[in-house]
Formats: sequence, C-alpha cells, structure tokens
Amino acid sequence: MLNSVFDIKVIRFAAAVTVMGALSACATPPPAGDQDARAAYEEANDPFEPANRLMFSANVMVDQLVLQPAAVTYRDLFPDVLKPPVENFITNLFQPLSFLHALLQGDMDRAEQAAARFFTALPTLLLADTFPDRKPVFEDGGQTLAVWGFEEGPYVMLPLLGPSSVRDTFGTIGDFFADPVRLIAGSEVTTGRSVGNAVVTRSKNLEHVRELQRTSLDYYAAVRSLYRQQRAAQIRNGISEPAHSAPTIGLDLDEPDTDGGKKETAATN
Amino acid sequence: MRTIAAFVLVVAFSIGTSAARADSHIDTSVKFINSLSNQAIETLTDASITTEQRRAEFRRLFRDGFAVNGIARFVAGRYWRKASDADRAEYLKLFEDVIVNTWADRFSQYSGQKFEVRGATDATPEKSAEDVALVESLFFTSPTSPVRLEWRVASKGDLFKIVDVKLEGISMATTQRDEFNSVVSKNGRSLEALIEELRRRRDG
Repeated sequence: MLNSVFDIKVIRFAAAVTVMGALSACATPPPAGDQDARAAYEEANDPFEPANRLMFSANVMVDQLVLQPAAVTYRDLFPDVLKPPVENFITNLFQPLSFLHALLQGDMDRAEQAAARFFTALPTLLLADTFPDRKPVFEDGGQTLAVWGFEEGPYVMLPLLGPSSVRDTFGTIGDFFADPVRLIAGSEVTTGRSVGNAVVTRSKNLEHVRELQRTSLDYYAAVRSLYRQQRAAQIRNGISEPAHSAPTIGLDLDEPDTDGGKKETAATN
Repeated sequence: MRTIAAFVLVVAFSIGTSAARADSHIDTSVKFINSLSNQAIETLTDASITTEQRRAEFRRLFRDGFAVNGIARFVAGRYWRKASDADRAEYLKLFEDVIVNTWADRFSQYSGQKFEVRGATDATPEKSAEDVALVESLFFTSPTSPVRLEWRVASKGDLFKIVDVKLEGISMATTQRDEFNSVVSKNGRSLEALIEELRRRRDG
C-alpha cells in the first residue's frame, strides 16, 4: 500500500516537472544576425535557462538549509569507524542497478564486476567493501541511453535532484521503475539510499563546493559545465577522450619572445 | 630556469633517429611534470612563508609551467577575436592575477599527500606544429581513493608548457571557458565585460 502511494507521488512529481518545463519561460534566442551570440547560445544548449536558474536558486537554498547541515553533521559527529560500513552499504546497494545497465550497454566485464561486488558483500549484509582495489561500478539510465546513441539534449535543473539533461531525466525516471533494489526491497529502501547517498556525497565535497561558490564568476554556469563534463566522463567509464576532441590550445602566445612582448604591453596598461 | 636547462639537455640527448625523436616529447613531458610538481611541493607548501611570498612563487611557477596566455585566449573564446590589443593585454594580466590569487593559497593546506605520475601517451592532433602529450597522474588525497589528474603538455623544440589539466575527466580550461562565456553573453558580449568582472574578483 505504502509502495503504491509513493509511486503515485512520484508519477505526479514527474508530471509536474514535465508541465513546469513546458510552461516555463524559455530564453529568447538571440537574433540570427548576431553570429557570436547565436553560437554562444547554441553552445550553452540551455533554452530553459531562466527557469533553470530559478530552480537552481531554490535548490541552493534547500542545500544550505537541509543538505549542507546534514552533511556537516555526518562528517563531524558521525563516528568515523561507522562511516566505511555505511558508505559501503550505499555503494553496494547501487550495484544491482549498475549490473542491469552494464548488461544493457553490452559491457559484460563491468556487469560481472557489479554482480561480484554485490554478491560477495551479501554475507556481510552489504557492509563490506569486498574489492578495495577496484572502483565500484556506477551505471545508470542516462549513461545507457547515451551508449545507445541518444543525444544529451538541453540542460535541465530538476527540483531537489539537481543538474540533469533531457536524456538523463528520462534515465532517472526509468531507473526509478527498473531498479532491482526497489522491486525486491521496496521504494523506502531506494529512497533511503538516495538520501543517504546525497548526504555522504555532499559531506565529501563540502570544501570543493564552498571553493567553487567563492571563486566562480557565474556559479550556475560553472555547475552546468561541470555536470556535463562529469557525465561525459562517466559515459566513457573514465577512459580518456580521443586526442582530437580535446580543445586546442597553442603555444604561440607563450613562446619566450611573444611572451616578453605581451608582458611589456600589459605592464604599460 | 633550471628546469628549462634540464629540458634542453634532455631534448639534446634524445635527438637521434627520427622515430626516437617522435616519442621523446612524451618522456620529456613526464620529466617536466615531475620536476614542476617537485618544485611546487618544495617551495609552495612551506608553512613559514607569507601569503605574498607564496603567491609570488606560484606566479613564477605558473608562468614557467603553463601556457598562461594560450589558456587565457582559449578561455575567452570567440570574444578574443574582436577585442582590442589594449583589452587583450589587460585581460591577460587580470586572468593571471585571478588564477594566482585563487590557487596559490591552496598549497598552504598541503600536508604530504603523495603525487605519482603513472605514464603518458601521445595526443598530438593531426597537422599540428606542436607535439602534445597526455601525462596521467594520481594525487592521493586519501590512501585508498586517489584523484586522477591528467596534464596536457604541449611542446615545441625545447619549450614545454601545460595547456590543460583534467581532474577526474573534467577539464579546467573547458570549465573556465563555459563560465566566462556565460558571463560575457549576459553582459554586453565583449571582452570588456569579462575584464570588469575579473577586476572585481581580483580587488574584492
């Protein structure tokens, strides 16, 4: 009973997100004549930017009021000896979903790794890290859709869940229904896992986020860029991009002679 | 300067067959990263120096080791092209100042974490006048879960410079460019807007 009530809530929530997305004010594209502005607009790939920024401010507020205090409490007051088992438990609980997605991506190696981690940890009630030398496998719906060739689509800022894209939003909704852990243990378990994961992850990047907030000229744009790059790296499973796709930064401005010239101009200004 | 002298020696020794020469930039890039990180740890993490001394030392290493101007131009994106020479010079100076202020102080928090170069691969784009190597390294913020750092080193003759750093697959140059692009596209769409913003950041 509880389960189905929760399902209905989630469906409503998803519907609300979709409607909100449709109704929200879109950014007005710059006129076609202004090529630079047009190119910048297309590169940002964020037509819902005004609505996204609004949602981002709300998320930042929730983070400051709820998530950040919870993360600080966890970091400073939760006994250190109990942290590894808690974190292993959360990681291990993600392995069935990762297994499913590794299979869907045709990646037998990673599917096997996810299954091995989960089943060897079962006797310890999922509290142990049974492969300390190997990084756990994290695969999700968005990554599978990417492997299947779906484009990422515009950037989307989801309420509470944070940065996403159209593709990753579909992945997240699909994951809610397909997660083996939810099907076996119920959505209370997956909800608990998500909340626990949010607190633990946040507790590990408290300093980084503070630094980013302090040093970025446009925090929203920085987060958008980081999210996209991080997802791209996850989709490649950490393997480096091919050389040709990396940005080209030449040395011509930094050769000793030009460098000296520049410094001189800079000094006179 | 000592580092440069070392590279000259290394490069001079490795000029042999053309095949050996093609790969020598990779080995030299690894030596270059090792030497730069050793210098950074040696000079910047000294707890007894003042913030100003640390910043000055960082600036020296940053200029020495990174293609600061090339990175700055990349980060400015399409707005670089239309900018005047005076604006460009002002922007380059501010860019360097802001990076120095942001990063130098972080080295005071360093407490002996291990840094380890794992290897390097060639990443020279086709038809490029410069060689590019990707140097892979691990930074052990904790003994069990190191952070993966990837250095993009461009070279031309005996000149070696870092052109980008990737942290767990996230490019610093790309992040900075995306952010700057957003700032500029909201404020008059010229480099001047960025200069204004950077000046505020440096002085405030």
